[in-house]
Amino acid sequence: MRAVSKKLKFKLGRLALALALTAIFVASLTPRAQAEVKPAYALLNCRIVTAPGQTIEKGKIIVRDGLIEAVGPAEKIPVPPDAEVIEASGLTAYPGLISAHTNLFLDVKEQDQPQNPEDYFSSFLQPSEPQEYPDLLVLKGLKPKLTTVQAYHRAGITTVVVAPNRGIFQGQSVVLNLNGENLNPMVIKQPWALHLNFTTERGVYPSSLMGTVAFIRQKFYDTQHYAQHWKKYLASPAGLKRPEYDPFLEALVPFVVDKKPVVFQCNNQEDIKRALKIIKEFQLNGILTGANEAWRVIEVIKQARLPLLVSLDFRAPATSLFAQQGEAARKKAESELYPANAASLQKENISFALTSFGLTDSSFLKNVQLAIKSGLSPETALRALTVEPARILGLEKQLGTIEKGKIANLILTRGPLFEDKTRVVKVLVDGILFNYEEKGQ
Amino acid sequence: MRNRPETILTYFLVLILGFLGFLTLSSASLASPEDSSSERLLAITGVHIVPVTGNEIKSGTILIKGNRIEAVGEKVSLPEGTTIINGQGLTAYPGLIDSYSSLGLVEISGVAATVDNRETGRINPQVKAIEALRYDSMHIPIARANGIVAAVVAPTGGLISGQATLVKLNGWTNREMVIKESLALVVELPGIRGGRRSFMGMGGQAAVSTEKALAELKELFHRARMYEKRKDYASQNLLISPPDLDETSLFLLPVVKGELPVIFSVHADKDILQTIKFVQEEKIKAIFYGVEQGYKVAGEIKKAGIPCIIGSLYDLPPLWEEGYDSLFLNPVILNQAGVKIAFSSSSSSAAKDLPYHAAKAAAFGLDRKEALKAVTIYPAEIFGVDKDMGSLEKGKLANIVLAAGDILELGTTIEKVFIEGQETDLSNRYTELLEKFKKREKK
Amino acid sequence: MNVRKINLIKINFLILTLLVFLGSAVPLLQAGGNLLIKNAHLLTVTKGELKGDVLIQNGLIKQIGENLTAPAGTRVIEANGRYLIPGIIDTHTHIALSGTNEGTEAITPEVNMADVINPDDTSIFTALTGGVTMVHTMHGSANPIGGVNVVLKLKWGKPSEELIVKEAYPTLKFALGENVKQSNRILLPGRPQRYPATRMGANAIIRRELLRAKEYLAEWERYEKLSRAKNPPANLLPPRKDLRLEVLADLLRGKLLARCHAYVATEMIEFLNLAKEFNFKIGAFEHAWEAYKITDELLAAGVGISVFIDSWAYKMEAAEGIAYNAAYCTKRGLLVSINSDSGERIRRLFNEAGKAVKYGLTPDEALKLITINAAKQLGVDKYVGSIEVGKQADLALFTEHPMSAYTRCDMTIIEGEVYFDRDEIIKEREAAAAKKGGN
Repeated sequence: MRAVSKKLKFKLGRLALALALTAIFVASLTPRAQAEVKPAYALLNCRIVTAPGQTIEKGKIIVRDGLIEAVGPAEKIPVPPDAEVIEASGLTAYPGLISAHTNLFLDVKEQDQPQNPEDYFSSFLQPSEPQEYPDLLVLKGLKPKLTTVQAYHRAGITTVVVAPNRGIFQGQSVVLNLNGENLNPMVIKQPWALHLNFTTERGVYPSSLMGTVAFIRQKFYDTQHYAQHWKKYLASPAGLKRPEYDPFLEALVPFVVDKKPVVFQCNNQEDIKRALKIIKEFQLNGILTGANEAWRVIEVIKQARLPLLVSLDFRAPATSLFAQQGEAARKKAESELYPANAASLQKENISFALTSFGLTDSSFLKNVQLAIKSGLSPETALRALTVEPARILGLEKQLGTIEKGKIANLILTRGPLFEDKTRVVKVLVDGILFNYEEKGQ
Repeated sequence: MRNRPETILTYFLVLILGFLGFLTLSSASLASPEDSSSERLLAITGVHIVPVTGNEIKSGTILIKGNRIEAVGEKVSLPEGTTIINGQGLTAYPGLIDSYSSLGLVEISGVAATVDNRETGRINPQVKAIEALRYDSMHIPIARANGIVAAVVAPTGGLISGQATLVKLNGWTNREMVIKESLALVVELPGIRGGRRSFMGMGGQAAVSTEKALAELKELFHRARMYEKRKDYASQNLLISPPDLDETSLFLLPVVKGELPVIFSVHADKDILQTIKFVQEEKIKAIFYGVEQGYKVAGEIKKAGIPCIIGSLYDLPPLWEEGYDSLFLNPVILNQAGVKIAFSSSSSSAAKDLPYHAAKAAAFGLDRKEALKAVTIYPAEIFGVDKDMGSLEKGKLANIVLAAGDILELGTTIEKVFIEGQETDLSNRYTELLEKFKKREKK
Repeated sequence: MNVRKINLIKINFLILTLLVFLGSAVPLLQAGGNLLIKNAHLLTVTKGELKGDVLIQNGLIKQIGENLTAPAGTRVIEANGRYLIPGIIDTHTHIALSGTNEGTEAITPEVNMADVINPDDTSIFTALTGGVTMVHTMHGSANPIGGVNVVLKLKWGKPSEELIVKEAYPTLKFALGENVKQSNRILLPGRPQRYPATRMGANAIIRRELLRAKEYLAEWERYEKLSRAKNPPANLLPPRKDLRLEVLADLLRGKLLARCHAYVATEMIEFLNLAKEFNFKIGAFEHAWEAYKITDELLAAGVGISVFIDSWAYKMEAAEGIAYNAAYCTKRGLLVSINSDSGERIRRLFNEAGKAVKYGLTPDEALKLITINAAKQLGVDKYVGSIEVGKQADLALFTEHPMSAYTRCDMTIIEGEVYFDRDEIIKEREAAAAKKGGN
């Protein structure tokens, strides 16, 4: 009897193994990436760029519980026994890229800009109240999609700022780690900053750029007055008229009084000057985003010493010189001048972050390449997508480099990052692995 | 010796002579609109004469008989009874001709009730500018007071805008003003893509390319020809029922038959070439208007023999990349390539500025004599009235302007304007209001 | 005091002097260009005409005379008998701005054109081709009270802040009449007619806002008094800072001049009354088509006009405009300038002034309409508007007399820098054509 059960056990064991292997085989056939949630990983024998300018030719990275447990030259790093081994020779690991300005997952499309915002004869079909949302927490309206997350992973991006996109006072952004499909686990920082845009209302004040500037300034003055009044009232209400509650101004107080960050959208050189003037007037903790024409006002930018989120959208603004002098002039500017924006900043030793704002995942990488071709060094490009945005977001202790203790956001590429044929084959976000290896690789 | 036959005869003769004398005297009174008496004899003497065709005369005489020029020369013998006008210090020019305007159709451009040059709809060959033209427009005396004696008044809008008319700027009614009631059919083709005038005419409906527009015209012309064939056949054969009224075809027939020219408002170089081809294929008479990129295809326009009316130079060039002065250089290049050009005011309230468009082109290289011709003899030739107008020559109508200087110059005052031998009233809205409020001055 | 201390003081004094000297040298280094213009027919506007040369150094006119010489390296421009005039000044435009009107509300003095300068506007270059060097660019005429205007020099290619002419009078745009009433607009369903719909409503709303401004001033005065008192009340709070009323308060304080768009006589007469009622100053009436009807009133008030020469009959309120307006008012003693109010007309502003000769002015008087008169209205006649030693070298070179219909602008210079050069453009064209032909 014992001999028979042993044989049976053996047979059953082999069957189980066969089934297990089959299951794994079938699973590995699936071309789509599968998020494999495992507690510990050991990435072996890859080239590691731990930070811009710092490379380990053959190294190991140990990831546990979503954080980096260890990173270093291969011979120096022991592999924990419970770590799932990922053979990564031939691949390069970089810190996951951070795009500090996107409109990912937003449900609502940006309102169409009027053709001639200054033309007071244009149609007045809009509601009679300005559509302003300073108290909007953009997180509340997000609808994440896995396909979008995957697309951004393929572009190397693992962390994004999602900013609102409507109105002048647009609302408050959130910083997300693209670690899956559920919103709450993605949140790193909520809220991050107040976003302002020099756009206009239609049919209601302010419907012109000059009106918008006055509107912003008046709101900031009103916030100061509001805060002053409430402070006095709360300290000693006796004999003092109670200030009227105003949700708009209430929402602005942290940014005007407590100097929380305020991001200004700058779509041309004059927007940069407009933003700087307002930031100075109210001593705001200001950040400029867009800044596609920074190259035209380099001295001003240098003097200002503000954090910059530089767009890689090289289209010439419609009102710019280049767009008014015919197709040939515009095309030339868009292929030669605007792509060299980042290089101009680099030349002047001005630190900046790059963003994917306004671009699709595929045009993002293409445009980084174009910026590099126009004079941006690959190292500065990497810095602008890792260390610098992490610093601007106040997350330098958690993100931006591959260091022990930081969040395990990594991308593994076949080929050097930012080169044409390079592909992102694996991504880790918060220690969750995503495979993008294509068949035949 | 009462009632002798000789006495009665004498009395009778005296009476008759007296009566005739009275008639003679009365008919020598100052010109009134009805007075086109062939008896009128007027001479402008001691005047600097610019005939436009032929050499200038430093000091000479123009003799007017009735409504025509009897003689022009250094020394002209004056018949008895000639009224003499001293032209010392003045220059005599032929009256200017505006090749494209909205005089009499647009009074105050922002007030729709006073705007009559744009009918609704795209195909309107049947509308005639003469039927809406208001003589009482305040802009006509102002234009006339600046030396303009005749103008093309054109409708606008849609693809086929209507029939333009050629009028003289003198007359108590619109009918009295007519020189050519139906001068030409106006057709408006699209503007320059991406340019400032990227959309011209077409009555607010979807922009159609010139290619499509010409194809549509081709079809309409064909329809008109078939319409006529059917009408003719039916008129000869009782058994064939005549066609239903086809208004469009009816009014396109004169064009199709080559009797009525078409003024094509056309702008881009490729469109100009397409239109030339169309004109040649359809065998119609054509004049171009606008032609802002005409300079690029000047050779082809010259070969085709199509004259060009230059649009208002009070505009910006259609495309920045063609140069800030491309609009001004256009007529210069066309003229130098041998194309017959004429300037226009393209306006009603600024019709008096016609000479300054010519001068502006001269500032950018157009020969000054050619500039003057382009507002006198060339438009007369283009519109087929050169036998009567456009220069100071014997036999032509006495359309004469006496200017205190160069007629194309900004500062020149116009002293007298004769239209068909008749001195016209130079008072206008400007002078009337000025005189009225001058009275307010406290000395 | 011992010798050491004295030496220290001496050294410190020397260092201080050096720094001050260097500091004062800096603006010189940043100043305009150097040019020598030879053999020009100069129309100085204020000091007659002469044939000669102009020497420009650091953007200023250094010398006017015959057979002048310049330091080595100075660019020499051979005028060859062409006419040199002061750069033309257009006192009413809307160019170089991102936006013209904040038309949603009737009273918007808080908006400032200096906030929306667009140095990329190709209209700047277009104006340069017409010899224009300076513009008073303004809020539009959509509102009874529009916004604060700005005066710019047309330094094409320079950053926006370098265009602003700080010395000019600060001005506030007012408007009356049809544009403000929106009478030429179709009312859209569901949208009420904006107040004011009549001329009387326009004056009423201006009056109301100025009364509010007076109250605002009084409120702040009260606060200042209380806060400076020996025992200020515990619940004392400053009033809310209202940007709109701040600007109107500045008008009442005399810090801004009103520039009022007005066509018909009644509008101007009543605006003069408003100015008297609230004691504010008027810089000029814009367009003023019926000024010829009320020259006495305008003369008595000392208010000038900035007008078209003959672009009329486009609205009912322009139906009694006459081309004699500018010339007649000039003869009556008003300060008159001609403006373009158009990115197209601006390049033939000199032709518009030239027409005034036909209507009664001499060519010299006509030239004043677009040079010194305009400068006076803008408060910059100390710096520009005529060719005089010491003034800024804003000049334009014309092929014929600028008041001739046959003339053409060949070059435009601002503070001694050439911003438009027709020769240069022709050369570039020929080079480009040669390149094309060679390929």
